[in-house]
Amino acid sequence: MVDLKNMTIKNAHKGLRDKLFSASELTESIFEVAANSESVLHAHLLLMHEEAVQGAKETDQRISKDNMLGALDGIPISIKDNMNLKGHGTTCSSKILSNYISPYDATVVKRLRESGTIFVGKTNLDEFAMGSSTENSAYGPTRNPWNPDCVPGGSSGGSAAVVSVGSALGSLGSDTGGSIRQPASFCGVVGFKPTYGTVSRFGLIAFASSLDQIGPFTKTAEDAKIIYEAISGHDSKDATSLKLKAKSLPEDSSAKVGIVKELMGEGISDDVKSEVERIIKILEMEGHQVSEVSLPMTKMAISIYYLIAPAECSANLARFDGVRFGLRREGGNSYEMSEKTRAVGFGDEVKRRILLGTYALSAGYYDAYYGQALKARNQVVNEFREVFSSVDYLISPTTPSTAFKFGEKTSNPLEMYMSDSCTIPANLAGLPAISIPTGINNDGMPYSIQIMSPELTDSSLLNFSSYIEKLVDFQHAPMKWKKEP
Amino acid sequence: MSKKFDIQEIAKLASIELNENEVKSLTEDLGIILEHVETLSNLELNDSDITIHPLGIELTLREDEVEEGLSHEESISNAPEESEGHFKVPPSMD
Repeated sequence: MVDLKNMTIKNAHKGLRDKLFSASELTESIFEVAANSESVLHAHLLLMHEEAVQGAKETDQRISKDNMLGALDGIPISIKDNMNLKGHGTTCSSKILSNYISPYDATVVKRLRESGTIFVGKTNLDEFAMGSSTENSAYGPTRNPWNPDCVPGGSSGGSAAVVSVGSALGSLGSDTGGSIRQPASFCGVVGFKPTYGTVSRFGLIAFASSLDQIGPFTKTAEDAKIIYEAISGHDSKDATSLKLKAKSLPEDSSAKVGIVKELMGEGISDDVKSEVERIIKILEMEGHQVSEVSLPMTKMAISIYYLIAPAECSANLARFDGVRFGLRREGGNSYEMSEKTRAVGFGDEVKRRILLGTYALSAGYYDAYYGQALKARNQVVNEFREVFSSVDYLISPTTPSTAFKFGEKTSNPLEMYMSDSCTIPANLAGLPAISIPTGINNDGMPYSIQIMSPELTDSSLLNFSSYIEKLVDFQHAPMKWKKEP
Repeated sequence: MSKKFDIQEIAKLASIELNENEVKSLTEDLGIILEHVETLSNLELNDSDITIHPLGIELTLREDEVEEGLSHEESISNAPEESEGHFKVPPSMD
């Protein structure tokens, strides 16, 4: 068995290339971790052992011929179960897609496949990526590897947990309002949301199309960059896909850093604030110019988001009507069939957001709700542009608190929504943003910081994050999981 | 903005049948959320500024050329009910 302690994608690639271990051995070791942890964590909805073994054999053949495809050849990676992977289910953790089989690969899956990636399986999420704890999964929640009484965050909770526990060396998630960064923060791993439009959404089951973005979970920012480089690039199958050139920023102590005043105030717990301040001190010691900046509209971000995202979701989820795919409940006519199918197929949070969005888009309310939200969103974009004329990066907490307990926020939807208050602004403005782990609290749960940067500076953001990782030197890991005999 | 709404009417538009418990809980939840988003209505915002693509970029369509896509069989492979290669549904009109 391969020693997976401190195993990163970069180290695994070196190990494979230098023939310290084979792809088959690496794959078996990863599935051993899954076998030991899944019964408690429930992070994967599907494990693809047979295909993974076959894929690893093919990598080993390429290695024996000195013909490796690149940094991801033979690397075990899991995919959030809202992206199509041909021949397997894509449930979106919803009953309505319980019997759906993907007839094609999402562009990101296709690109990983072409780079020799081994797919470990599909990971759990809040139904249709709506939620912040995976408590909304129709197939049961995922548990946090650091403490199974705590949520892993969401919606990509499964993808965060598998990287944290080591049952994959990387994973893909999707981030509409924080669904990569918030669970990364709760599970002590790196989670990166790229600039909107740099990674194709083709084959990702749409939730809110103007906000959704696919990105990686990894142990390090360097690994996140390896996955990002493999999955990004223009795709003619996605009309929002960008052809624009990347921009660069300083990636060392000459970088100017801004602290967002509004994200260090009300609603953020004291210990999280102290942790961010600790990191800021480290940066100041390194000679960075650090200043406080103001983004007043971030206070409105939750309100803007909870009009735009439900509005887009109500339109996107109209396709689940029992006609072309998924669940069907019989009705006297096709309208009844659709109403009954959707009544049984969707969970509470999905219904809540569809109804909210339907209302916000309905005649007489469209301008007051959706129209006003679009205008306010533009103001958010303008504020970020203004601030980025004086600083290179923005640092804030990723989440208002560390991971919370199961059931703690399920009674009031607004309270759950607030856990995304620091992450939503970057989605509204389409900006790249990352969460990196920095320390642990007295209960042993991970702390993190969020770093945001201007559009299309993704590579610089990832390099700057690597630089900060070296300064912070986060060496903690969750408990080692062992299946009871 | 108005906080008065008929949840059954919205559910009809959204094509979701609600049970009695859902009518009660969803009315409550939507009330709470709509009250929260009400803060937006007090903002003075420029009428001409509307953001669809967050980077302000026009959407691009691919060239209108034939490309390989899903086959007919693949397109219909997930159909709950099919007949002679078509999706089959109950009647829409009496």
